[in-house]
Amino acid sequence: MLPLYVVNNHGQFNHLILRALRDMDVEATMISNETPPAEVARGCRGIILGGGPTLDRIGAAPAYLDLGLPVLGICLGLHIMATARGGAVRRGASGGFGAVEVDVLDRDGILQGYPERMQVWASHADEVSVVPEGFVRLAESAICGVESMASPDERLYGVQWHPEVSHTVNGRLLLENFNRICSE
Amino acid sequence: MVNVEKFIEKAVGEIRNAAGNEKVVMALSGGVDSSVCAALATRAIGDRLVPIYVDTGLMRKGETDRIRTLFDGNLLVVDAADEFFAALEGVTDPEAKRKAIGERFIRVFEREAKRTGATMLLQGTIYPDRIESEGGIKSHHNVGGMPLNIDFKGVIEPIADLYKDEVREVAGGLGLPVEIQHRMPFPGPGLAVRVLGEVTREKVAIVREANAIVEECLVEKFRPWQCFAALVGLGTGVKGDVRLHGWIVAVRAVQSRDGMTADPLLLPYETLSRMATRITAEIPGVARVVYDVTPKPPATIEYE
Repeated sequence: MLPLYVVNNHGQFNHLILRALRDMDVEATMISNETPPAEVARGCRGIILGGGPTLDRIGAAPAYLDLGLPVLGICLGLHIMATARGGAVRRGASGGFGAVEVDVLDRDGILQGYPERMQVWASHADEVSVVPEGFVRLAESAICGVESMASPDERLYGVQWHPEVSHTVNGRLLLENFNRICSE
Repeated sequence: MVNVEKFIEKAVGEIRNAAGNEKVVMALSGGVDSSVCAALATRAIGDRLVPIYVDTGLMRKGETDRIRTLFDGNLLVVDAADEFFAALEGVTDPEAKRKAIGERFIRVFEREAKRTGATMLLQGTIYPDRIESEGGIKSHHNVGGMPLNIDFKGVIEPIADLYKDEVREVAGGLGLPVEIQHRMPFPGPGLAVRVLGEVTREKVAIVREANAIVEECLVEKFRPWQCFAALVGLGTGVKGDVRLHGWIVAVRAVQSRDGMTADPLLLPYETLSRMATRITAEIPGVARVVYDVTPKPPATIEYE
Protein backbone atom coordinates (compact mmCIF):
# COMPACT_ATOMS: atom_id res chain seq x y z
CA MET A 1 0.00 0.00 0.00
CA LEU A 2 1.30 3.48 -0.84
CA PRO A 3 2.12 5.81 2.09
CA LEU A 4 0.36 9.01 3.09
CA TYR A 5 2.32 12.15 2.34
CA VAL A 6 2.63 14.87 4.97
CA VAL A 7 3.39 18.17 3.24
CA ASN A 8 5.78 20.32 5.25
CA ASN A 9 4.53 23.90 5.24
CA HIS A 10 7.14 24.96 7.83
CA GLY A 11 4.85 24.65 10.86
CA GLN A 12 6.31 23.57 14.19
CA PHE A 13 3.80 20.72 14.63
CA ASN A 14 4.34 19.16 11.17
CA HIS A 15 6.55 16.37 12.52
CA LEU A 16 3.90 15.49 15.11
CA ILE A 17 1.58 14.52 12.24
CA LEU A 18 4.18 11.94 11.20
CA ARG A 19 4.49 10.78 14.75
CA ALA A 20 0.72 10.37 15.19
CA LEU A 21 0.55 8.30 12.00
CA ARG A 22 3.53 6.23 13.08
CA ASP A 23 1.83 5.52 16.41
CA MET A 24 -1.17 4.28 14.39
CA ASP A 25 1.12 2.02 12.30
CA VAL A 26 0.27 4.00 9.18
CA GLU A 27 3.17 4.44 6.80
CA ALA A 28 3.81 8.11 6.09
CA THR A 29 6.53 10.29 4.57
CA MET A 30 7.16 13.98 4.98
CA ILE A 31 7.69 15.83 1.71
CA SER A 32 8.69 19.36 0.79
CA ASN A 33 5.89 21.58 -0.51
CA GLU A 34 8.08 22.19 -3.57
CA THR A 35 7.68 18.55 -4.69
CA PRO A 36 6.29 18.43 -8.28
CA PRO A 37 2.56 17.53 -8.26
CA ALA A 38 3.04 14.64 -10.71
CA GLU A 39 5.53 13.04 -8.31
CA VAL A 40 3.06 13.45 -5.43
CA ALA A 41 0.27 11.86 -7.52
CA ARG A 42 2.41 8.79 -8.20
CA GLY A 43 3.79 8.30 -4.71
CA CYS A 44 0.91 8.33 -2.21
CA ARG A 45 -2.71 7.43 -1.51
CA GLY A 46 -3.57 10.59 0.44
CA ILE A 47 -2.12 13.96 1.36
CA ILE A 48 -2.03 15.91 4.63
CA LEU A 49 -1.20 19.60 4.26
CA GLY A 50 0.53 20.61 7.50
CA GLY A 51 0.28 23.98 9.19
CA GLY A 52 2.72 26.84 8.84
CA PRO A 53 3.32 30.53 9.35
CA THR A 54 2.30 32.04 6.01
CA LEU A 55 0.55 31.53 2.68
CA ASP A 56 3.67 33.06 1.08
CA ARG A 57 5.66 29.84 1.59
CA ILE A 58 3.26 27.12 0.46
CA GLY A 59 5.13 26.22 -2.73
CA ALA A 60 3.16 23.87 -4.98
CA ALA A 61 0.76 22.79 -2.21
CA PRO A 62 -2.40 24.27 -3.84
CA ALA A 63 -1.82 22.05 -6.90
CA TYR A 64 -1.99 18.93 -4.69
CA LEU A 65 -5.74 19.55 -4.32
CA ASP A 66 -6.28 18.75 -8.00
CA LEU A 67 -4.72 15.28 -8.12
CA GLY A 68 -7.93 13.37 -7.37
CA LEU A 69 -6.43 12.16 -4.07
CA PRO A 70 -7.99 12.73 -0.63
CA VAL A 71 -6.50 15.78 1.11
CA LEU A 72 -6.64 16.83 4.77
CA GLY A 73 -5.61 20.45 5.38
CA ILE A 74 -4.61 21.36 8.92
CA CYS A 75 -4.57 25.04 10.06
CA LEU A 76 -2.66 26.77 7.22
CA GLY A 77 -3.53 23.66 5.17
CA LEU A 78 -7.20 24.61 5.61
CA HIS A 79 -6.40 28.15 4.45
CA ILE A 80 -4.59 26.79 1.39
CA MET A 81 -7.72 24.80 0.53
CA ALA A 82 -10.04 27.79 1.05
CA THR A 83 -8.01 30.26 -1.02
CA ALA A 84 -7.20 27.79 -3.82
CA ARG A 85 -10.90 27.03 -4.34
CA GLY A 86 -12.14 30.62 -4.46
CA GLY A 87 -12.91 31.17 -0.77
CA ALA A 88 -11.19 33.72 1.44
CA VAL A 89 -9.08 34.00 4.59
CA ARG A 90 -8.82 37.01 6.91
CA ARG A 91 -7.30 37.97 10.25
CA GLY A 92 -9.77 36.72 12.88
CA ALA A 93 -11.35 39.07 15.43
CA SER A 94 -9.88 36.82 18.10
CA GLY A 95 -6.98 34.44 17.59
CA GLY A 96 -7.29 30.84 18.73
CA PHE A 97 -4.37 29.86 20.95
CA GLY A 98 -4.40 26.87 23.25
CA ALA A 99 -7.70 25.24 24.20
CA VAL A 100 -10.81 25.93 22.07
CA GLU A 101 -14.31 24.45 22.48
CA VAL A 102 -15.61 23.30 19.11
CA ASP A 103 -19.19 22.42 18.12
CA VAL A 104 -19.39 19.66 15.56
CA LEU A 105 -22.11 20.33 12.94
CA ASP A 106 -21.69 17.20 10.83
CA ARG A 107 -20.62 13.99 12.48
CA ASP A 108 -20.25 11.93 9.32
CA GLY A 109 -17.08 11.49 7.31
CA ILE A 110 -13.96 13.07 8.74
CA LEU A 111 -15.55 13.94 12.13
CA GLN A 112 -17.34 10.61 12.53
CA GLY A 113 -17.36 9.36 16.11
CA TYR A 114 -16.81 12.76 17.79
CA PRO A 115 -19.21 14.22 20.36
CA GLU A 116 -21.28 17.34 19.62
CA ARG A 117 -18.87 19.50 21.58
CA MET A 118 -15.20 18.85 22.16
CA GLN A 119 -11.98 20.51 23.26
CA VAL A 120 -9.20 20.95 20.74
CA TRP A 121 -5.90 22.85 20.64
CA ALA A 122 -5.30 25.57 18.15
CA SER A 123 -2.69 28.13 17.22
CA HIS A 124 -3.95 30.58 14.62
CA ALA A 125 -4.54 34.29 14.03
CA ASP A 126 -6.22 33.92 10.58
CA GLU A 127 -9.46 32.15 9.73
CA VAL A 128 -11.59 31.18 6.74
CA SER A 129 -14.05 34.03 6.09
CA VAL A 130 -15.64 32.75 2.87
CA VAL A 131 -16.30 29.03 2.39
CA PRO A 132 -15.60 28.05 -1.24
CA GLU A 133 -18.36 26.78 -3.50
CA GLY A 134 -18.89 23.04 -3.17
CA PHE A 135 -17.69 23.02 0.46
CA VAL A 136 -19.80 22.67 3.62
CA ARG A 137 -18.98 23.70 7.18
CA LEU A 138 -18.42 20.75 9.53
CA ALA A 139 -17.61 22.55 12.81
CA GLU A 140 -17.64 26.00 14.42
CA SER A 141 -16.62 27.68 17.67
CA ALA A 142 -17.41 30.88 19.53
CA ILE A 143 -14.28 32.51 18.08
CA CYS A 144 -14.22 31.03 14.58
CA GLY A 145 -17.10 30.23 12.21
CA VAL A 146 -15.17 27.74 10.08
CA GLU A 147 -13.38 25.36 12.41
CA SER A 148 -13.78 22.65 9.79
CA MET A 149 -15.07 22.35 6.22
CA ALA A 150 -15.17 19.73 3.50
CA SER A 151 -16.00 18.97 -0.09
CA PRO A 152 -16.96 15.33 0.52
CA ASP A 153 -17.35 14.45 -3.17
CA GLU A 154 -13.79 15.50 -3.86
CA ARG A 155 -12.59 14.08 -0.53
CA LEU A 156 -11.11 17.45 0.52
CA TYR A 157 -11.21 18.12 4.28
CA GLY A 158 -9.91 21.01 6.36
CA VAL A 159 -9.63 21.66 10.11
CA GLN A 160 -8.53 24.83 11.85
CA TRP A 161 -7.26 23.01 14.95
CA HIS A 162 -4.35 20.60 15.35
CA PRO A 163 -5.44 16.95 15.68
CA GLU A 164 -1.74 15.95 15.86
CA VAL A 165 -0.91 17.61 19.22
CA SER A 166 -1.35 15.66 22.43
CA HIS A 167 -3.53 18.34 24.03
CA THR A 168 -6.30 17.94 21.43
CA VAL A 169 -8.73 15.44 22.97
CA ASN A 170 -8.82 12.29 20.80
CA GLY A 171 -7.19 14.00 17.81
CA ARG A 172 -6.12 10.58 16.63
CA LEU A 173 -9.71 9.71 15.64
CA LEU A 174 -9.69 12.40 12.96
CA LEU A 175 -6.48 10.99 11.47
CA GLU A 176 -7.92 7.48 11.63
CA ASN A 177 -11.02 8.70 9.78
CA PHE A 178 -8.83 10.31 7.13
CA ASN A 179 -6.70 7.19 6.80
CA ARG A 180 -9.88 5.16 6.32
CA ILE A 181 -11.10 7.53 3.62
CA CYS A 182 -7.70 7.19 1.90
CA SER A 183 -7.99 3.40 1.97
CA GLU A 184 -11.47 3.28 0.41
CA MET B 1 6.07 3.31 20.56
CA VAL B 2 9.52 1.82 20.15
CA ASN B 3 10.24 -1.82 21.02
CA VAL B 4 12.86 -1.20 23.71
CA GLU B 5 14.71 -4.54 23.76
CA LYS B 6 14.99 -4.72 19.99
CA PHE B 7 16.04 -1.11 19.75
CA ILE B 8 18.85 -1.48 22.28
CA GLU B 9 20.24 -4.57 20.57
CA LYS B 10 20.14 -2.91 17.16
CA ALA B 11 21.61 0.40 18.35
CA VAL B 12 24.49 -1.28 20.18
CA GLY B 13 25.31 -3.28 17.04
CA GLU B 14 25.17 -0.19 14.86
CA ILE B 15 27.45 1.81 17.16
CA ARG B 16 29.94 -1.07 17.25
CA ASN B 17 29.99 -1.26 13.45
CA ALA B 18 30.22 2.48 12.94
CA ALA B 19 33.00 2.93 15.51
CA GLY B 20 35.21 0.07 14.34
CA ASN B 21 38.42 0.38 16.35
CA GLU B 22 38.23 4.17 16.65
CA LYS B 23 37.96 6.30 19.78
CA VAL B 24 34.61 8.13 20.07
CA VAL B 25 33.94 11.42 21.82
CA MET B 26 30.58 12.90 22.87
CA ALA B 27 29.12 15.84 24.76
CA LEU B 28 27.29 14.56 27.85
CA SER B 29 24.86 16.95 29.53
CA GLY B 30 23.31 14.44 31.91
CA GLY B 31 19.93 14.88 30.21
CA VAL B 32 18.06 11.79 29.11
CA ASP B 33 19.13 11.95 25.43
CA SER B 34 22.88 12.16 25.96
CA SER B 35 22.73 9.74 28.92
CA VAL B 36 20.99 7.10 26.81
CA CYS B 37 23.58 7.60 24.07
CA ALA B 38 26.42 7.25 26.55
CA ALA B 39 24.93 4.05 28.00
CA LEU B 40 24.38 2.52 24.54
CA ALA B 41 27.90 3.43 23.41
CA THR B 42 29.46 2.10 26.62
CA ARG B 43 27.75 -1.24 25.96
CA ALA B 44 29.01 -1.15 22.39
CA ILE B 45 32.60 0.02 22.71
CA GLY B 46 33.36 0.27 26.44
CA ASP B 47 36.07 2.74 27.38
CA ARG B 48 36.72 3.75 23.79
CA LEU B 49 33.87 6.19 24.45
CA VAL B 50 35.03 9.46 26.03
CA PRO B 51 32.08 11.54 27.30
CA ILE B 52 32.86 15.22 27.95
CA TYR B 53 30.76 17.27 30.36
CA VAL B 54 31.16 21.04 30.03
CA ASP B 55 30.29 22.97 33.19
CA THR B 56 29.17 26.30 31.73
CA GLY B 57 28.54 27.90 35.12
CA LEU B 58 24.89 28.02 34.02
CA MET B 59 23.95 24.63 35.47
CA ARG B 60 21.40 23.90 38.18
CA LYS B 61 22.29 23.62 41.84
CA GLY B 62 24.46 20.58 42.54
CA GLU B 63 24.14 19.39 38.94
CA THR B 64 27.82 19.02 38.10
CA ASP B 65 28.56 17.03 41.27
CA ARG B 66 25.58 14.80 40.63
CA ILE B 67 26.65 14.07 37.05
CA ARG B 68 30.15 13.28 38.30
CA THR B 69 28.70 10.71 40.72
CA LEU B 70 26.32 9.18 38.18
CA PHE B 71 28.90 8.85 35.40
CA ASP B 72 32.19 8.04 37.03
CA GLY B 73 34.86 6.26 35.04
CA ASN B 74 35.79 7.90 31.76
CA LEU B 75 33.83 11.14 32.19
CA LEU B 76 35.87 14.26 31.49
CA VAL B 77 34.54 17.28 33.43
CA VAL B 78 35.60 20.69 32.09
CA ASP B 79 35.09 23.78 34.26
CA ALA B 80 34.51 26.57 31.75
CA ALA B 81 32.35 29.00 33.78
CA ASP B 82 34.78 31.94 33.44
CA GLU B 83 34.80 31.66 29.66
CA PHE B 84 31.01 31.58 29.47
CA PHE B 85 30.42 34.58 31.74
CA ALA B 86 33.03 36.55 29.80
CA ALA B 87 31.26 35.70 26.53
CA LEU B 88 27.91 36.84 27.98
CA GLU B 89 29.07 40.20 29.33
CA GLY B 90 26.89 43.02 27.98
CA VAL B 91 24.76 40.69 25.82
CA THR B 92 21.01 41.33 26.29
CA ASP B 93 19.30 40.08 23.11
CA PRO B 94 17.92 36.54 23.67
CA GLU B 95 19.09 35.19 20.31
CA ALA B 96 22.52 36.79 20.74
CA LYS B 97 22.77 35.13 24.16
CA ARG B 98 21.91 31.72 22.74
CA LYS B 99 24.43 32.21 19.94
CA ALA B 100 27.20 33.33 22.30
CA ILE B 101 26.64 30.27 24.50
CA GLY B 102 26.34 27.85 21.56
CA GLU B 103 29.52 29.19 19.98
CA ARG B 104 31.47 29.05 23.26
CA PHE B 105 30.22 25.51 23.92
CA ILE B 106 31.40 24.33 20.53
CA ARG B 107 34.84 25.89 20.94
CA VAL B 108 35.33 24.41 24.44
CA PHE B 109 34.15 20.99 23.30
CA GLU B 110 36.36 21.18 20.23
CA ARG B 111 39.44 22.00 22.31
CA GLU B 112 38.81 19.15 24.77
CA ALA B 113 37.82 16.65 22.06
CA LYS B 114 41.07 17.31 20.21
CA ARG B 115 43.02 16.51 23.36
CA THR B 116 41.42 13.07 23.60
CA GLY B 117 42.60 12.10 20.13
CA ALA B 118 39.15 10.71 19.25
CA THR B 119 38.31 10.33 15.55
CA MET B 120 34.55 9.83 15.76
CA LEU B 121 31.75 12.02 17.18
CA LEU B 122 28.60 10.65 18.81
CA GLN B 123 25.50 12.84 19.24
CA GLY B 124 22.07 12.57 20.89
CA THR B 125 20.07 14.01 18.00
CA ILE B 126 16.41 12.93 18.24
CA TYR B 127 13.74 12.69 15.54
CA PRO B 128 12.05 16.11 15.93
CA ASP B 129 15.48 17.81 15.69
CA ARG B 130 15.99 16.18 12.33
CA ILE B 131 12.53 16.94 10.96
CA GLU B 132 12.70 20.55 12.13
CA SER B 133 16.11 21.08 10.57
CA GLU B 134 15.08 19.42 7.29
CA GLY B 135 11.85 21.40 7.21
CA GLY B 136 13.59 24.72 7.91
CA ILE B 137 11.53 25.37 11.06
CA LYS B 138 14.68 25.93 13.06
CA SER B 139 18.19 24.64 12.74
CA HIS B 140 19.51 22.39 15.47
CA HIS B 141 23.25 22.68 15.80
CA ASN B 142 23.65 19.00 16.43
CA VAL B 143 22.08 17.82 13.17
CA GLY B 144 24.76 16.46 10.87
CA GLY B 145 27.48 17.34 13.34
CA MET B 146 28.34 20.34 15.46
CA PRO B 147 30.31 22.92 13.42
CA LEU B 148 33.64 21.79 14.81
CA ASN B 149 37.02 22.50 13.27
CA ILE B 150 37.92 18.85 13.61
CA ASP B 151 37.75 16.41 10.75
CA PHE B 152 35.98 13.50 12.37
CA LYS B 153 35.88 10.35 10.29
CA GLY B 154 32.20 10.02 11.09
CA VAL B 155 29.21 11.10 13.19
CA ILE B 156 27.11 8.51 15.05
CA GLU B 157 23.51 9.40 16.00
CA PRO B 158 22.05 6.33 17.73
CA ILE B 159 18.64 7.78 18.72
CA ALA B 160 17.89 9.85 15.62
CA ASP B 161 14.64 7.95 14.97
CA LEU B 162 13.16 8.35 18.46
CA TYR B 163 10.88 10.85 20.17
CA LYS B 164 11.62 12.12 23.67
CA ASP B 165 9.10 9.88 25.41
CA GLU B 166 10.53 6.89 23.53
CA VAL B 167 14.05 7.85 24.65
CA ARG B 168 12.73 7.72 28.23
CA GLU B 169 11.42 4.19 27.60
CA VAL B 170 14.86 3.16 26.32
CA ALA B 171 16.48 4.76 29.39
CA GLY B 172 14.32 2.47 31.52
CA GLY B 173 15.29 -0.54 29.42
CA LEU B 174 18.97 0.31 29.87
CA GLY B 175 18.53 0.39 33.63
CA LEU B 176 19.54 4.05 33.96
CA PRO B 177 18.58 5.65 37.31
CA VAL B 178 14.96 6.81 37.50
CA GLU B 179 16.34 10.28 38.18
CA ILE B 180 17.81 10.35 34.66
CA GLN B 181 14.96 8.54 32.96
CA HIS B 182 12.48 11.14 34.19
CA ARG B 183 14.86 14.09 34.21
CA MET B 184 13.06 17.29 33.30
CA PRO B 185 14.19 18.86 30.04
CA PHE B 186 16.86 21.50 30.74
CA PRO B 187 17.67 23.97 27.97
CA GLY B 188 21.07 23.82 26.30
CA PRO B 189 21.91 27.44 27.28
CA GLY B 190 21.11 26.51 30.87
CA LEU B 191 20.00 29.10 33.42
CA ALA B 192 20.99 31.89 30.99
CA VAL B 193 17.54 31.69 29.34
CA ARG B 194 15.93 32.00 32.76
CA VAL B 195 17.52 35.41 33.33
CA LEU B 196 15.92 38.06 31.15
CA GLY B 197 18.46 40.60 29.92
CA GLU B 198 22.18 40.49 30.65
CA VAL B 199 23.47 37.37 32.38
CA THR B 200 25.77 37.91 35.37
CA ARG B 201 27.13 35.59 38.05
CA GLU B 202 24.94 37.31 40.67
CA LYS B 203 21.71 36.86 38.71
CA VAL B 204 22.52 33.25 37.89
CA ALA B 205 23.21 32.59 41.59
CA ILE B 206 19.76 33.96 42.50
CA VAL B 207 17.87 32.11 39.79
CA ARG B 208 19.76 28.90 40.65
CA GLU B 209 18.49 29.06 44.25
CA ALA B 210 14.97 29.87 43.08
CA ASN B 211 15.01 26.91 40.67
CA ALA B 212 16.14 24.59 43.44
CA ILE B 213 13.25 25.73 45.68
CA VAL B 214 10.68 25.31 42.88
CA GLU B 215 11.95 21.82 42.12
CA GLU B 216 11.88 20.86 45.80
CA CYS B 217 8.29 22.08 46.14
CA LEU B 218 6.90 20.59 42.92
CA VAL B 219 8.83 17.72 41.34
CA GLU B 220 8.00 14.83 43.65
CA LYS B 221 4.51 15.90 44.63
CA PHE B 222 3.13 17.07 41.28
CA ARG B 223 5.34 15.36 38.67
CA PRO B 224 5.29 18.25 36.20
CA TRP B 225 6.73 17.72 32.72
CA GLN B 226 8.87 20.75 33.47
CA CYS B 227 9.05 23.34 36.25
CA PHE B 228 11.42 26.19 36.90
CA ALA B 229 11.91 29.78 38.04
CA ALA B 230 13.01 32.78 35.97
CA LEU B 231 14.19 36.29 36.83
CA VAL B 232 11.92 38.60 34.88
CA GLY B 233 12.81 42.05 36.17
CA LEU B 234 12.98 44.37 39.14
CA GLY B 235 10.09 45.59 41.29
CA THR B 236 9.51 47.34 44.56
CA GLY B 237 9.15 45.38 47.76
CA VAL B 238 9.46 45.98 51.47
CA LYS B 239 11.41 43.58 53.64
CA GLY B 240 11.78 44.23 57.38
CA ASP B 241 10.49 47.82 57.04
CA VAL B 242 13.15 48.54 54.45
CA ARG B 243 12.29 49.33 50.85
CA LEU B 244 13.78 46.81 48.45
CA HIS B 245 14.11 47.28 44.72
CA GLY B 246 14.32 43.53 44.25
CA TRP B 247 13.92 40.75 41.71
CA ILE B 248 10.60 39.46 40.41
CA VAL B 249 10.75 35.68 40.13
CA ALA B 250 8.30 33.98 37.78
CA VAL B 251 7.48 30.34 38.54
CA ARG B 252 6.41 28.10 35.66
CA ALA B 253 5.18 24.50 35.87
CA VAL B 254 3.64 22.71 32.88
CA GLN B 255 2.26 19.39 31.73
CA SER B 256 3.16 18.17 28.25
CA ARG B 257 3.77 14.98 26.30
CA ASP B 258 6.44 16.23 23.95
CA GLY B 259 7.05 19.91 24.69
CA MET B 260 5.21 20.97 21.54
CA THR B 261 2.06 21.98 23.40
CA ALA B 262 1.81 22.60 27.14
CA ASP B 263 -0.65 23.49 29.86
CA PRO B 264 0.15 25.17 33.19
CA LEU B 265 -0.37 23.03 36.30
CA LEU B 266 -3.41 23.91 38.39
CA LEU B 267 -1.40 24.14 41.63
CA PRO B 268 -3.10 24.43 45.04
CA TYR B 269 -2.96 27.96 46.42
CA GLU B 270 -1.09 26.81 49.52
CA THR B 271 1.69 25.36 47.34
CA LEU B 272 2.00 28.63 45.43
CA SER B 273 1.98 30.51 48.68
CA ARG B 274 4.68 28.31 50.21
CA MET B 275 6.92 28.80 47.18
CA ALA B 276 6.49 32.58 47.39
CA THR B 277 7.36 32.52 51.08
CA ARG B 278 10.41 30.33 50.68
CA ILE B 279 11.80 32.13 47.63
CA THR B 280 11.47 35.59 49.18
CA ALA B 281 12.70 34.42 52.61
CA GLU B 282 15.66 32.35 51.47
CA ILE B 283 16.92 34.61 48.70
CA PRO B 284 17.71 38.15 49.91
CA GLY B 285 17.43 39.94 46.55
CA VAL B 286 13.93 38.73 45.66
CA ALA B 287 10.94 41.02 46.30
CA ARG B 288 8.10 39.29 44.49
CA VAL B 289 7.00 35.90 43.14
CA VAL B 290 4.46 35.38 40.33
CA TYR B 291 2.99 32.20 38.79
CA ASP B 292 2.72 31.94 35.00
CA VAL B 293 -0.68 30.61 33.85
CA THR B 294 -0.17 30.83 30.07
CA PRO B 295 -0.40 27.69 27.93
CA LYS B 296 1.84 26.93 24.92
CA PRO B 297 0.78 28.23 22.46
CA PRO B 298 0.73 31.25 22.68
CA ALA B 299 3.65 31.31 25.17
CA THR B 300 6.66 29.01 24.93
CA ILE B 301 7.71 26.97 27.94
CA GLU B 302 10.99 28.77 28.61
CA TYR B 303 11.16 32.59 28.73
CA GLU B 304 13.79 33.26 26.08
